[in-house]
Amino acid sequence: MSRSGWHRRLHGMLCLGLLWLAAASAVAQDQTVTIRAAQAAVSDGPSFPTEPPAPLVELPDDWSVSRPGSSGPVWYRLTFVAPGLRETGELLALYIEHVCTNLQVYLNGQLIHSGGQMHEPITQNCNHPQLVGLPAGLIGPGPNSLDLKVVGHALQRVASTHRAGGLSALAIGPHSALAGKHARQVALNVAVPQAVSATLLLMGSFMFVLGWMNRRESHLAYFGALSVGWALIESRLWLRDLPFDNAVAELLLCSMLPLLTWASVQFLLRYAQYRHRWIDIALPLQAVVMPVTLLLAGPERLYPMASFWYVLLPLQTLAAAGFYLRTQYHVQRGAFWPMALFLCIATVALAVEYVAQSFGIRGSLMQMAQVATPVMMVLVGLRLLHQQGRAMQDAVEGKAHLEMRIREATAEIERNFTQLAELRVEKVTERERKRIAADLHDDLGAKLLTIVHTSDSERISTLAREALEEMRLSVRGLTGKPVRLIDALGDWRAEVVSRLGQAGIEADWSAPAEELPQTLSARAFVQTTRILREAVSNVIKHSGATHCSLSCDLADGDMQIIVRDNGNGIPMELDGRLDRGHGMASMKHRAKQLQGQCLVESGPGYGTVIRLTLPLTRATEAA
Amino acid sequence: MTNILLLEDLPEIRAWLSSLVLQVFPGAQIAEAARVHDALGLVSAIKFDLALVDLGLPDGSGVDVVAALREHQPETQSVVVTIHDDDEHLFPALQAGAFGYILKEQARELIIEQLQRISQGEPPLSPSIARRVMAYFAAKSKPQPMSASSAAVPHVSLTDRETEVLLRVAKGYTLPEIGQQLTLSRHTIADYVKQIYRKLNVSSRAEAALEAQRMGLFGR
Repeated sequence: MSRSGWHRRLHGMLCLGLLWLAAASAVAQDQTVTIRAAQAAVSDGPSFPTEPPAPLVELPDDWSVSRPGSSGPVWYRLTFVAPGLRETGELLALYIEHVCTNLQVYLNGQLIHSGGQMHEPITQNCNHPQLVGLPAGLIGPGPNSLDLKVVGHALQRVASTHRAGGLSALAIGPHSALAGKHARQVALNVAVPQAVSATLLLMGSFMFVLGWMNRRESHLAYFGALSVGWALIESRLWLRDLPFDNAVAELLLCSMLPLLTWASVQFLLRYAQYRHRWIDIALPLQAVVMPVTLLLAGPERLYPMASFWYVLLPLQTLAAAGFYLRTQYHVQRGAFWPMALFLCIATVALAVEYVAQSFGIRGSLMQMAQVATPVMMVLVGLRLLHQQGRAMQDAVEGKAHLEMRIREATAEIERNFTQLAELRVEKVTERERKRIAADLHDDLGAKLLTIVHTSDSERISTLAREALEEMRLSVRGLTGKPVRLIDALGDWRAEVVSRLGQAGIEADWSAPAEELPQTLSARAFVQTTRILREAVSNVIKHSGATHCSLSCDLADGDMQIIVRDNGNGIPMELDGRLDRGHGMASMKHRAKQLQGQCLVESGPGYGTVIRLTLPLTRATEAA
Repeated sequence: MTNILLLEDLPEIRAWLSSLVLQVFPGAQIAEAARVHDALGLVSAIKFDLALVDLGLPDGSGVDVVAALREHQPETQSVVVTIHDDDEHLFPALQAGAFGYILKEQARELIIEQLQRISQGEPPLSPSIARRVMAYFAAKSKPQPMSASSAAVPHVSLTDRETEVLLRVAKGYTLPEIGQQLTLSRHTIADYVKQIYRKLNVSSRAEAALEAQRMGLFGR
């Protein structure tokens, strides 16, 4: 390229009277010049094509507008002067905010920069701002020509205007000034999406595993899948060198979208506790159908086909979100508002991104929108994890509570069962006792009674009567309920006094008259009755007494009954022991059975004293 | 002329009782029965002055005969003659209208004496029966949940004196002793006892009637 050619070109440009003076800008020492026009020509040659003369185009140059259907490569040329550069020693730089897909930069015919691979698979620089240092040694004092060879893809071949071929406005200025701008832009365009990808990938994988292991929480698995998918999609913003050419890469990227839709719709529905078989089938089917339609449409019609899906797929998610919010609004008002906020922000962000993608708009709003959606996803993810943690905590507490309740219930059942069993045993025993009692009365009683009243022998008659009374007492001991001590005393008094009275013996009874809390078991009552009866019988039959006093005292948990008569006393046997024939043995035996004792003091002419001591605590035990 | 019903299933005892009754009431006409069914037939045919009724019988309980007598021949004195001395057996018979009870195995002289006392209007009363009667009336005096229907029952309650007698019997005092304590004659005490038996019967019958009416109302 000759210097004279440059001059002629510059001349021609000026002669045309064009106002785009910026194309040949004078770059001052500390000021940045934005270049909004350049000569442009389609050529795959090694240098800027001089013939035919390349027309000036406005920058940014969107190929889909300026040369529809073209996939380049396109050469751009711009001219600048940098007077006094050598004196200052300032390093100049070219800043390219957006170039799609890749470029090489030549300064005065010398290659000074390459964004990467210029042939398929072309390095993806659409989202990577380029900063090209302009070597001072190559910059002449006069006009310098800067040629940019840009390779890219026609809009039809990509799924997004953001990846369609084109070149943004350029800026030339001090390297120090532009480096900061470049660094900021790289951070926004590359570092943030990388961070988002990493976060979503980590969180998504974790939640996917969590949801996968716990099938009841399938919404977690879908949300995890959504997050991982989003992380992969987000990688388009920072991954530059893929081992596929553009057609394959775009197809793979597009195929991710129905998968994301599947995950998001299912997440929302499952989270709303809703499940439908047709949806379960339709969503995976769609994930297969979509790539097929893209394949059928062919790489040349990728964009229109993808655009169709871009409308259809978000609508599905939106519908699911609407369904979810409607359900939650009625079910769980508390959980509604946070999720509604997240979903609304995500929807707005997606809408902004969609509009920006559709119309090729770039800018901070677009970038914010690109970040907003994943941030919302992270928030939702945290919320889900929080809920899950809370639910687990509740479950653990609930389990502990339940275990406690079960233990209590088991104990109660056991208690009840034991009580029931005892009651049953008691009931059966009671019934059996009654049956035995009835049998005894009907059979043995009738026979004894017959003997009592038909025997000619008074002795046999008396024995039979005593047997009958014994039997009756036995039956009472069998079937009877505990007797209140005060009632027992009443019964004993009535019997003793009336019997002694009938025998013409003066009776004297003393016993506590106040209300007594103690009760006697039926057995204790019966045994004591027998002992008393025997004692009174002895007084009546053998003592010859005219007076008999009976006393009952309670002391130290013992009951002491003393029967004292003024009769003859019991005659001594030869060995000095008291006669056993007077029922003394049986009285003592019965007292012993009640853990008590029966002492007899007697002397000829001094009457007889019978001391019966019974421990009340023992006597009150159930028979 | 005294008509006496003797209901007893054991032939020996029946014969023995029969001779005993003739000793107490010389010249009495004794209608003997061994079964409840036969006794009920006799009750519908003959008017009795006294009935000696056993409780445990092959075809039922003597209580039914006591009740039938109270129903059809209110003037008849029913006396339970039984081997059971416990109030579980005796109390229903007293409620049904029995005027006293005699334990069968007692010596002949004792039974004769008791029979004479009963026929003279001095029925026996044991401590356990007294307690049972008191408990019965104590329960009745409690406020009833169905006040409307209980209002239909003639209200029977014991007087203070009757309660006093019952209390003392329950403590084991004999009727003569109580008479001395209350400075009342033997006959007055006996009248109280008779009155207590009568009230027990009236109250029980009213209760039974009400019960029957209630069942009828619900059955309709």
